[in-house]
Amino acid sequence: MKKYEAVIILNPNLSSKVDDFVKDFEKLLKGNSFTINKKEDVGRRQLAYSINNHNKGHYLLFNIEGDATKLIEIENKIKYNDAIIRHLFVSVKNYSGDDSQLLLDSKNKKNEYEESSNKKNNKEELKPISQKDEVKTHKSQIEEVKDNESENSSSDDKNNKDIEDKEDKDE
Amino acid sequence: MSKFKLPKRFDYKDVNVLKQFITETGKIIPARVTGVSATNQRKLTKYIKIARFLALIPYTDMHK
Repeated sequence: MKKYEAVIILNPNLSSKVDDFVKDFEKLLKGNSFTINKKEDVGRRQLAYSINNHNKGHYLLFNIEGDATKLIEIENKIKYNDAIIRHLFVSVKNYSGDDSQLLLDSKNKKNEYEESSNKKNNKEELKPISQKDEVKTHKSQIEEVKDNESENSSSDDKNNKDIEDKEDKDE
Repeated sequence: MSKFKLPKRFDYKDVNVLKQFITETGKIIPARVTGVSATNQRKLTKYIKIARFLALIPYTDMHK
């Protein structure tokens, strides 16, 4: 069993049918013995660049847990779904319990839009970020940082010795 | 010390944090300029690249 974060970008034209899609997707997940720990509906969002001539996308986030082999089957089924513009599964050590920053941003935007008449800034409400999860992509592995201190210290010693030798010769 | 907002754990969904470390043209800024530690720079590049794939951050300013 592995933990995954799934990000799915839906066709914005089908935004009204999101609930149907979510139901189907959950069925697909449960059919492949996946458990859904959390789901977030971020909503429509401006894409940084156009994908398949779409300038907006409907973002969905899922925290799921299941077998890696079954995930490939799910991906194969998702590939040919026209409603999905783009999808990504990222394996994760631990989930962060908090809401994702995307969801918070979208909520803040809505609030700003509603309170624009009052001219209130919601920037102060941005919560400090504390994500406990260590995300890593499928194939990449965490590289450990090696301490170079020992090497440095040894080179320093050599320098000192050289200086001492020179002084001896001078005498 | 540093003028950047660094979270305790990096996340590819944290667009506001990641945007500090790319140029106007979308390139990743080298650590020698930003002064981010090597460990954090490695994480940053990884998450910036994921965020680009998810269209949260542009690859370049030349997108049509």
